Amino acid sequence: MSATDVTRTDLPVVDVTPTDDEAPSTEGPTVAGRVARGLAWLALVWVLLCYPGNVLSPFDVPAFDANRMSEAVIFAIIGLSLNVLIGYAGQVSLGHQAFVGIGAFTSAYVVTDLTQEVVLGVLVAALVGAAQAVLLGLVSLRLTGLYFALVTLVYGVMAQQSIFAIESFTGGTAGKIAPRPTGFESDFRYYYFSLIGLALVLLVDWRMLRTKGGRALLALRENPRVAQTWGIDTKAYTLFAFGVSGLFAGLGGGLLAHRDLQVVANPFDFNLALVFVLMTTIGGLRNRLGVVLGSAFFAFLRNGYLVEKLKLEEGIGPIPGPLGAIDMSPEFAPLVFGPILLLLVLTRLPGGFGQLARPFQEWLAGRRFRWIPADDEVVVNDVRA
Amino acid sequence: MSAPETVLSTTGVSIRFGGVQALSEVDLRADRWEIVGIIGPNGAGKTTLFNCITGFYAATSGRVRFKGEDVTDLPVHQRAARGMGRTFQNVGLVKGSTVGENLKSAQHLQTRYGALGALFGSTRASEVEREATERARAILDLVHLGHLWDTRIAGLPYGIQKRLEIAAVLATDPELLLLDEPGSGLGPEEADELGDFLLDIRERFQLTIVLIDHHVPLVTRISDYMYCLNLGQVLCEGQPEDVRNHPDVVRAYLGIDPDAEVA
Amino acid sequence: MGLLAVTGTDLVQSLVIGVVNGAVYALIALGLVLVYRSSGIFNFAQAEFGTVAVYGAYFSFSYWGFPYVVAAVFGVACGTAAALLTERFVIRPLAQGPKVTLLVATAGIALLSIGTAFWRTGDNALRFFDPLTQWQGARIAGVQISGQRILTLVLLAAAVAALTAFFRSPYGLAVLAASQDPDASALVGLDVKRISMLVWGIAGVLGAGAGILLQGGNAFTPGAITSLALIPGFTAAVIGGLTSLPGAVLGGMVIGMLESFGRLSTFDFVPGASSVSVFVVLLVVLLARPEGLLGGRTA
Repeated sequence: MSATDVTRTDLPVVDVTPTDDEAPSTEGPTVAGRVARGLAWLALVWVLLCYPGNVLSPFDVPAFDANRMSEAVIFAIIGLSLNVLIGYAGQVSLGHQAFVGIGAFTSAYVVTDLTQEVVLGVLVAALVGAAQAVLLGLVSLRLTGLYFALVTLVYGVMAQQSIFAIESFTGGTAGKIAPRPTGFESDFRYYYFSLIGLALVLLVDWRMLRTKGGRALLALRENPRVAQTWGIDTKAYTLFAFGVSGLFAGLGGGLLAHRDLQVVANPFDFNLALVFVLMTTIGGLRNRLGVVLGSAFFAFLRNGYLVEKLKLEEGIGPIPGPLGAIDMSPEFAPLVFGPILLLLVLTRLPGGFGQLARPFQEWLAGRRFRWIPADDEVVVNDVRA
Repeated sequence: MSAPETVLSTTGVSIRFGGVQALSEVDLRADRWEIVGIIGPNGAGKTTLFNCITGFYAATSGRVRFKGEDVTDLPVHQRAARGMGRTFQNVGLVKGSTVGENLKSAQHLQTRYGALGALFGSTRASEVEREATERARAILDLVHLGHLWDTRIAGLPYGIQKRLEIAAVLATDPELLLLDEPGSGLGPEEADELGDFLLDIRERFQLTIVLIDHHVPLVTRISDYMYCLNLGQVLCEGQPEDVRNHPDVVRAYLGIDPDAEVA
Repeated sequence: MGLLAVTGTDLVQSLVIGVVNGAVYALIALGLVLVYRSSGIFNFAQAEFGTVAVYGAYFSFSYWGFPYVVAAVFGVACGTAAALLTERFVIRPLAQGPKVTLLVATAGIALLSIGTAFWRTGDNALRFFDPLTQWQGARIAGVQISGQRILTLVLLAAAVAALTAFFRSPYGLAVLAASQDPDASALVGLDVKRISMLVWGIAGVLGAGAGILLQGGNAFTPGAITSLALIPGFTAAVIGGLTSLPGAVLGGMVIGMLESFGRLSTFDFVPGASSVSVFVVLLVVLLARPEGLLGGRTA
């Protein structure tokens, strides 16, 4: 049956064929275009795989920098975890630092107290993260979005003041030692270890979304009634989303622990929870690349890498550094600029970094370089409230 | 000849919201392959009845039986799994996704593979996915909208969305179709075509259909049996022509007494 | 041992401290309830209006030589200005979206305020602002309660009375109407924008007042009020029922007491007992009675 079969005169024929502007280009890129794209891909791969590890690189990256890049990778994992919760399942968590912290302490505990391998520790951390997330998920089934967000907030605070203060588990104020895995002791090697974690997370996320689980999540987030009439058990899938989110967060926490070599409760405070939410939202919800970019950006901002490399404080030669000009110590930069970026994204650029990156993504994939406006829905808007 | 099998029956279904008795003692029945029509003025409780049948509301009293089984206490998705399909007044689709994604999501119950297999791309999972895509395309072709596979629902015209919604619910492989005002927004000729379409899919997919609509001629034409609801109660039921012309029904819709003398 | 070691005096003292601290949380909760009832928005930045007020008062007093009272009033004005700015540039553009977006946005504002305070005043600088009254206060059940704290309790009662009267007045009714249906309200001639400004202005005054009352006589740092009082404050609001003003007060007292009981030495074996008890109570209330202890339906 062809599309023209039913064009009876009384049926309004709606022409919904895409116009030239929207239609993807049918011819491939030119030879020059292909070469350019190939080089760009190569550069990207090199930046990701070679530069931070001082492998095949003329630059000599200090170990300290490699360490900061690991942090960016781990933040990306955490961002993806929060993305599953906010972007796919439609729940806001203001206590996500608890998920990460529990993962960190669990991994440290398993490796130090139970003397197991780091890989096992991180795995257990992921599972514990998933379990605790599912428990919270059960609570979410009974509460609407706003109240649930508040519960997560209090949970996060409680985790920091109570769970992380249990001496036997966390070592109290002294914290817990978290050694590096064998074979990945150096900061450079650990970067690759973290990268493997990120690759795993991306793989699972990608596969999940392409299969019925992912479709079920998207359906239930936007239109739970219809999802149910299609046979989707919305409660079970919500818990599933929480589980996956907790899995990723626990994994991130574990990786963070062994990067820091020691875990203490202090950093897992409410400000961190906010940073997580900010970086995921600014990255662009449901856009994996955006979330990765946004999270990395915030990590680099927080640990001073961006400020240092871009000389935002001291300036370059006669050009004053913007931070120095306003007398801002770099550690406060994320606190001030984060919210400003958030407001910009919420009001002007709903797709966040992901939207900014789309043209490049399209180009690298062999298509034309063009601006793609965000989807009609403002991205954070369809969170259940 | 054996008695027709009753696919859907509600007995004494009542529901109360706060101070309002939205439904009282509604008895409804749909036998296999019947098209049952429900008409009634706005606020009569027709959609509320559908919500009770499908499980979105829990009736205060009464039972719902589907294919002989008492499903009154089952959640929505389990009733759907047993073969109950339903459309909504405000187009039940995932508007942010494409047509293709919607049709594949609707086949949730038919895509059977384990989570682990899905995660790591087992051959079984890929095969099932491919089958789902083929089925989805076939159904889409049936409504002559195959060219819209990659289009997002959100931008499409209302009439097209309604057709897509029916396609999606067909993809769930239902035995019973509960259609909530499928003809809303359609003119009389389009309503006519919708009627033909419903008769066609009843044959093709061996469906039982219960249909709420305000296009009384449409409902009268295609129904085998008809109910009229008013103020939460069954006002009258029977053969479509009889119901349509019943004085109570006319009074309920038009507010005038058809037997009264015209001045 | 343990539980039996609590004496009657301990309990009573805990109670008293709890009520006094609770007044502080209640003040924050009042501002939260006001905004929530008027717009359905949960204002994370409520405590920061207080911080802005305190810094404003401090700087004008110490650096610009304002007389004390003027400085205090100036502080309140600063806090109110912060609230109005938030309303204009954050709330209004996003008002049509879901409430959770606004929650995140106001949380961002709080973060911005904290970050700005750190930036402009340097890390963790301790400042000191004189209390509003030098009165030593009273001694109840063996606990010395400062004049400032008693003043807080009095002003809290006054605020509740004033707000209750407000919601009964034509202005208050207009606010409620606009909150339920902005379009319909606009159609009958209510200036929805002005109403929004009014609400946030009052919230600003409340938050600013709470800040000055809280911090007077104490050393304060950036974000102090948020970290100490916001979470207990909104837990108080939620427990009391987000739409109930008396509920906010009741909730504040409950949280104050929970915290102070949690600090009793008998509970030393549970680390962070205060926050655990707050979490448990919050969860229980929300799951069992989502409208809170005193909340009714949001009509």
